[in-house]
Amino acid sequence: MRQLLNGNEATAIAARLARVEVLASYPITPAAPAMEQIVRFISEGKLKAKFIRVESDHSALAAAVGAALAGARPLVVTNSQGLAYMSEVLYHASGLRLPIVMAVVNRGLAAPHTRFPDHGDAIAQEGSGWIQLFCENNQEVLDTLLQAYRLAEDERVRLPVMVHYESYIQSHTREVVEVPAPETVDKFLPLHRRPALDVDNPQAVNVVTGPDLYMDYKYRQDKALQDSQEVLCEVDTAYAELTGRSWGGTLGVYRLDGAEHIFVTMGSLASTCREVVDMLREDGLPVGLLKVRCFRPFPGEKVRSLLKGARTVTVLDKNIVYGSGGALAREVRASLYGPGPEGPFVYSYIAGLGGRDVTSEDVVRIYQMVEEKVKGNQEPLPYEWYGIE
Amino acid sequence: MDLFTGGHVGCRGCGAAIAARQAMEALGPRTIIVIPASCMATIGGSGLRTAWRIPFYHSLFECAPAVASGIRAALEVQGIREVNVVSWAGDAGTADIGFQSLTGAAERNEDIIHVCYDNESYMNTGGQAGGTTPFGAWTSDTPSGKPTRQKDMLAIMAAHRPPYLATASIAYPKDFIDKLKRAKEIKGFRYIHVLAPCHRGWGIKEEETVEMARLAVECGLWELYEIRAGEKRLTVVPERKVPVQEYLRRQQRFRTLSEEDLAFFQAKAST
Amino acid sequence: MAKDLPVVPSAPPGTMALKPVAAAWRERHPQIIEGRCNACGECLYFCPEGALKLKETEKGKELEINLDFCKGCGICAHECQRQALRMVAEYTGPQGLLG
Repeated sequence: MRQLLNGNEATAIAARLARVEVLASYPITPAAPAMEQIVRFISEGKLKAKFIRVESDHSALAAAVGAALAGARPLVVTNSQGLAYMSEVLYHASGLRLPIVMAVVNRGLAAPHTRFPDHGDAIAQEGSGWIQLFCENNQEVLDTLLQAYRLAEDERVRLPVMVHYESYIQSHTREVVEVPAPETVDKFLPLHRRPALDVDNPQAVNVVTGPDLYMDYKYRQDKALQDSQEVLCEVDTAYAELTGRSWGGTLGVYRLDGAEHIFVTMGSLASTCREVVDMLREDGLPVGLLKVRCFRPFPGEKVRSLLKGARTVTVLDKNIVYGSGGALAREVRASLYGPGPEGPFVYSYIAGLGGRDVTSEDVVRIYQMVEEKVKGNQEPLPYEWYGIE
Repeated sequence: MDLFTGGHVGCRGCGAAIAARQAMEALGPRTIIVIPASCMATIGGSGLRTAWRIPFYHSLFECAPAVASGIRAALEVQGIREVNVVSWAGDAGTADIGFQSLTGAAERNEDIIHVCYDNESYMNTGGQAGGTTPFGAWTSDTPSGKPTRQKDMLAIMAAHRPPYLATASIAYPKDFIDKLKRAKEIKGFRYIHVLAPCHRGWGIKEEETVEMARLAVECGLWELYEIRAGEKRLTVVPERKVPVQEYLRRQQRFRTLSEEDLAFFQAKAST
Repeated sequence: MAKDLPVVPSAPPGTMALKPVAAAWRERHPQIIEGRCNACGECLYFCPEGALKLKETEKGKELEINLDFCKGCGICAHECQRQALRMVAEYTGPQGLLG
């Protein structure tokens, strides 16, 4: 069924379709409406779940950890400061291998205060051990949340997943979304319970470990995270078989055939770049787009094989890792290091922080700047800020 | 009691371990316990071994009651009944760093039991002062004695009007066990605050751990009572009464108390 | 090869009791003074280690001390109202360099 949904509504409907059992969230702008909508579903009897009206974001994720430990399917909704406040708990969730799914409505981190979108909140948690999936539109939000549960609960994975979409641009903007039938989702998403806290099978969770075990636990956790790339592709294929929609698994590729100059980006900028690619292709310019859907684990090998034949790569980052640059450009460069000097130059632009609009004209302008540098044999700077006069 | 077994690595004469063992007598095997950062979170587990025989989770410091809330919700959606969900925290995990999640869970009247085992200082990190450390007590970060008064956690928790609230002392195990048994029968948020001395923090001999927990009651500084539906009832009236100095002067941490300070404590003691 | 570990970092129940290590800290241990203990069981509540048990014998209940668990704090002896326990030093000869 087709519905006009904003990102938060898509999240709420995904929660209902996924038959989420425990919602633990603390209100924050702009994620709160998603939480409120799910609570309405619960109170109307449309979703059989418990809502824990926690007193903080930290407790929200802590309660989800408790719910997952006791075998339920939890959802958390948050963003920016809320996510930062949860930071410590994120590491427990991943270290305990809990299949928690969290919708994150990306918003710039204060200070200065902002309510507007960028990926800084997500990137700050890049090392937290969570799978991080970025969505470019509300259809992808709904589909990805459903995929996230199957991925998180897969025996080979057993890790928490963040599903990212941007504040206002997505959370409060309605788009046409195809909503799958509940029976279809039930088929796709059977519930596997693995309670770690069970009175019939008692065990002690998170006991003190020494140097003999800690590193082995971490090795296994990292391996599960790396292996989840393949599982995500499988999950995406299975989803496509049921719904007809695939998001490419870890990466979305667009018009890479014969592309000499490839844009790489994540989230809503992917839609903008896709338009620009079409515009420039009409002018006969050999451009393409690589959309990174899965930022953690980073599909470095695939990125390398898709980009290594390009002449030029331009990465657009809606985040800044202070003193380092754009997180995505850093990943792309790291994955291209292997091919040696014959690999493409990677130009890195920081753009669209805190909701500063990046239009298709801006992307064209960036393209032109990069092409001028290429013609002038100018090697790329580590990164540049776009739109700072 | 052996749901927390011997073989744990608590200090000799550990008051916290005594409290846990006494509580297990009442709580029984259908109990899930969440313990945030504290001595009790660490002494019962090492590597691939544990002293717990019930489901146990060593949670983060701030959030044991929130975790317990999530566990209860998960049990409810799965239709799993007759399980005690317990958050068991030290004085820091209750009164200080853990207070936000505690007040939240109490206000929501979550169906959990929170036990604060109080040794009146941060012993797991070496004995620093916290919110329940009494006025005048020497700790590693109040070398001249704590200049401020103890936080009144019982008054704070009573202000949440929980269905059940009680104090306890490890020197009165039957009283503590009875209270836990009564608490088990009640639905909603239950708060029990048990005094569990730490001989290292208090500067007493290790065999005096229980004796101090008794003297605290006998001198009137630690009253044993419960509050159900707003009604306060004393549960133990000590057979003998002692002046506060018999309790305080025995503890090295109070070695700098003046006569005036003693008078302050005497005035605070219930008679 | 990484060690074979549980997916959720955890430990099976009661396993610390199987190989207790901390009893090695013991410097003294309780001994029952013949004829004084009436097996009231009060000390069981005060032992932090679960080292005390009442066992059923032909003569009725009897206090039993498990030295695998006992760390020698002395609370049992200190608390016993009948003074039925005494603490005895773990070692008889000098300790230290030659110990």
